[in-house]
Amino acid sequence: MKRTVTALSLAIPLVLSTVACNVDSGGGGESGAESAGKRGPITIWYSNNTEEVAWGKSVVEAWNSEHPDEKVTAQEIPAGKTAEESIGASITAGTSPCLVFNTAPAAVPQFQKQGGLVALDDFPDAREYIEERTGPTAEQYRSPDGKYYQLPWKSNPVVIFYNKKLFAKAGIDADNPPLSTYDEFLDTARKVVKGGGAQYAILPSPSSEFFQTWFDFYPLLAAETDGKLLVEDGKATFAGDEGKRVAAFWKTLYDEGLAGREKYNGDAFADGKAAMAIVGPWAIPVYGDKVEWGSVPVPTSEGKPVEEIHTFSDAKNVAMYTACENRGTAWELMKFATSEERDGELLEGSGQMPLRADLEQTYPDYFDQNPDYRTFADLNSRTVEVPNVPNSIAIWQAVRDAYSTSVIFGKSDPDTALTEAAAKVDELAGQS
Amino acid sequence: MATRKFHPLRMLALAVGALMFLFPFYYMLVGSLQDEPDSTPAGALPDPGNLTLGNYADIDERLDLGTTLLNSGIFTGGVLLCTVVFGVLAGYALARLHFRGRALLFNLMLLVQVIPFQLLTIPLYVLIVRTYGLADTHLGMILPFAINSAAVFVFRQYFLQLPKELFEAAQVDGASELAILWRIALPLVKPALLTAVLLTFIGPWNEFLWPFLITKEADMQPLAVALANYMSNVAARASNPYGALLAGACVLAAPVIVLFVVFQRRFVATNLGSSVKG
Amino acid sequence: MTRTRRGRRAALLGRQPIGIAFVTPYAVFLAAVFAYPLGIAVYMSFHDWFFAAPGAVVDRPFVGLDNYAAVFTDPALLRSFLNIAVFLVINVPLTVGLALVLASALNAAIPFRTFFRVSFYVPYVTASVAVVGVWLFLFNSDGLVNTVLGDLAPDPSWLVNSALAMPVVAIYVTWKQLGFFILLYLAALQNVPKELYESAAVDGASRVRSFWTVTVPGVRPATTLVVLLATITGANLFTEPYLLTNGGGPNGASASPVFLMYQRGIEQGEAGLAAAIGMVLVIGVLAISLVNRYLLERD
Repeated sequence: MKRTVTALSLAIPLVLSTVACNVDSGGGGESGAESAGKRGPITIWYSNNTEEVAWGKSVVEAWNSEHPDEKVTAQEIPAGKTAEESIGASITAGTSPCLVFNTAPAAVPQFQKQGGLVALDDFPDAREYIEERTGPTAEQYRSPDGKYYQLPWKSNPVVIFYNKKLFAKAGIDADNPPLSTYDEFLDTARKVVKGGGAQYAILPSPSSEFFQTWFDFYPLLAAETDGKLLVEDGKATFAGDEGKRVAAFWKTLYDEGLAGREKYNGDAFADGKAAMAIVGPWAIPVYGDKVEWGSVPVPTSEGKPVEEIHTFSDAKNVAMYTACENRGTAWELMKFATSEERDGELLEGSGQMPLRADLEQTYPDYFDQNPDYRTFADLNSRTVEVPNVPNSIAIWQAVRDAYSTSVIFGKSDPDTALTEAAAKVDELAGQS
Repeated sequence: MATRKFHPLRMLALAVGALMFLFPFYYMLVGSLQDEPDSTPAGALPDPGNLTLGNYADIDERLDLGTTLLNSGIFTGGVLLCTVVFGVLAGYALARLHFRGRALLFNLMLLVQVIPFQLLTIPLYVLIVRTYGLADTHLGMILPFAINSAAVFVFRQYFLQLPKELFEAAQVDGASELAILWRIALPLVKPALLTAVLLTFIGPWNEFLWPFLITKEADMQPLAVALANYMSNVAARASNPYGALLAGACVLAAPVIVLFVVFQRRFVATNLGSSVKG
Repeated sequence: MTRTRRGRRAALLGRQPIGIAFVTPYAVFLAAVFAYPLGIAVYMSFHDWFFAAPGAVVDRPFVGLDNYAAVFTDPALLRSFLNIAVFLVINVPLTVGLALVLASALNAAIPFRTFFRVSFYVPYVTASVAVVGVWLFLFNSDGLVNTVLGDLAPDPSWLVNSALAMPVVAIYVTWKQLGFFILLYLAALQNVPKELYESAAVDGASRVRSFWTVTVPGVRPATTLVVLLATITGANLFTEPYLLTNGGGPNGASASPVFLMYQRGIEQGEAGLAAAIGMVLVIGVLAISLVNRYLLERD
């Protein structure tokens, strides 16, 4: 034993000193302006969502045929949260691709802190391009230092989907179901569970990952507060009266058993276990022929006209990573992939909304053929993003933990839980 | 020779136990063969009208089962080889040889097993990808798992169980340590070898996170990774997503079970007593 | 003269220096693969650390024991250590007991021996990701177990009940890992000489008695192994509670330290804190293991 302790006490400082020498081995890179001009082959990643893969492949093919000296190699990465892990690991190792067409806005502050993202402002026409394409919503995507570290690409405005058949069976008007105020929503929920044959009215995932809040609490909060972000000017906005009303609404759903506390292994809406779902249009190809669906904007306490309702964007953006050498090409590809033509292809192929101002006017034919998607296009201009603040993931986790304990599992009072979480969030957002 | 023992109580207990252990796998099998997902308790019994091999076809279409199984095989095989060769040497030395640094190494072996892999993942990734330059290679996948410390521990424990007299007799005869290991000790710990092989097999075979980080090329990914990717996204599109997932899981589990069925026959008692006396 | 030289060599390198040659590949492996990440982990735990791109100039101040202090004052983390303690108390004795008893039963020449051995092994080889679905099907609020129990079913149901969530996870993991430990004992049982059983039978010992006097002492090194491996696996539990109870369970009732390590370290970028959690876990497990070894291995 003694010998071991001696040996270890010699070994550890030795290892530590070797480590300390290797760590923080700086070495400058080129300045942003220099790399901004370089052209050459690049690598990109996109998500493995079937429609996005198809779109991505066609974009890459088109680019490669026009630019044989600046070939793009594309790889798929899974769309789930393992994407952030994989991107984060690649930043640390210096192996990230030039562009990732699946960058979550919530991860941007962290990647930026790691020194992994390129400020798009390095490119002289970037700011103008972004703000012209996306309009006023682009503001939400700027980092605290005022620069753009991501290009807002596409959104999936979160709405309420409902199962027309189950609603009809319960005697509810399947074309205009009463779902705009909390009271109406609760009544409809009770009716459909009793008479429609679904076990739950709605089944948002009750698990405690930080991003689940985006699909229950946050969309309704955005609608109730007329478009406030979770954190504004360094202060939490969710513990005020609006937040309390939203929490109370969800708590009623859980208390009355209209929403489930256990996760369902699969898609509850597609399998008919829940009569409604709260999700964006990316889910529509998944539902396919399984469900005859209708959609309405999320409810608010008093009811608002559709043109005033805000919701969560569930956006995924394109970011450029510092491991990129040929940044000139990368920037050109970013513009190429978000042109009016390419955005239109994305829209048609996947039904997801490019983050473009005036979506309905730009693609009138598509919306004439798919009138169901007009709601999404309309909401596209009133989406609320995750706040671009330091420690954003820890902030969402704190909110989720408070929400889960008080609203989902009823172990504490939601008002107190939210207030405590707000204090914590204020602290986290204030750190740099 | 001993007659086959049949004790009704023992058999009953074993049967109940076996049922409890097999039931989930049986349910997985039934689920993978279902055309339409049936999550009610009645669905546990296979309904002839609802059976199909379509889920397996689905999985094979979306994932290249052949290539991914091959990658899993290379990954796992590499780990097995290193562990059996180098692990046996190390385990034997730790158990029976006295040399400087033995205690230190033993404690390091314990330490390595105790450390959760998640703690080391990112620095390990940086080390292997940046310093050693092994991204997207089989060697990069194998390296962190190359010699399974638990297997080394298993070897040590089983070598310890062998009686001292055996080795003293051989040493008196002047045999070299390597010869003792090869000719005397190793044949006596065949069960331990098989145990270690089966133990070491599972880790890399079912491992998801590490190969996922190391490989981005779809044709280098082992089955566990491809299956997880499938689950995260494409599964929802299949006509029976849950069934397709279960089909994949059954495919993943099958080779290991086959391996075990084949090897477990070797768990036969050796006549230790006679080898000491003789 | 030769003897003195050999004597000196023995003093320097031990009685059988060839052992050093035997262990060199393994030692090199440990040094090349684990030394650096482990060193980094220790180093990180004393700093406000986060992973950064190569060449990025970032500020990572030395914070001494702050991370460790956070580990011992964060209620969620303390709860997770309690959860693991509950888990170990249920899992380890159950594993040792069941595995040895089943291995003894499976060692005898019973009919259908292969079938039984395989059936106990099957859960171990199936990926948790797939098996969990079945377990959920059983333990859901409208699952098989509750249907059978009827009025005796707990409310809230098993996995959403703060008091029951971790025990259910413990039973699940015991069930899943048992096959492997049965295997370990099966292998050990092969080396328990048959003569000992015969002489015990001659002395008139019943089967139960010979189990206690012959089997249990005979497999002691294997028992040490089983206890140690079960403890280590239990302390490092990550996938199972995550899959069964969707992350941390109701109110963090089934969060494990490694899960929180992953959450804080990889998701939230607080690598220093995660490293401190890891270190505390390692030291805790080493302490438990040392105690176990002392109690079990007295050779």
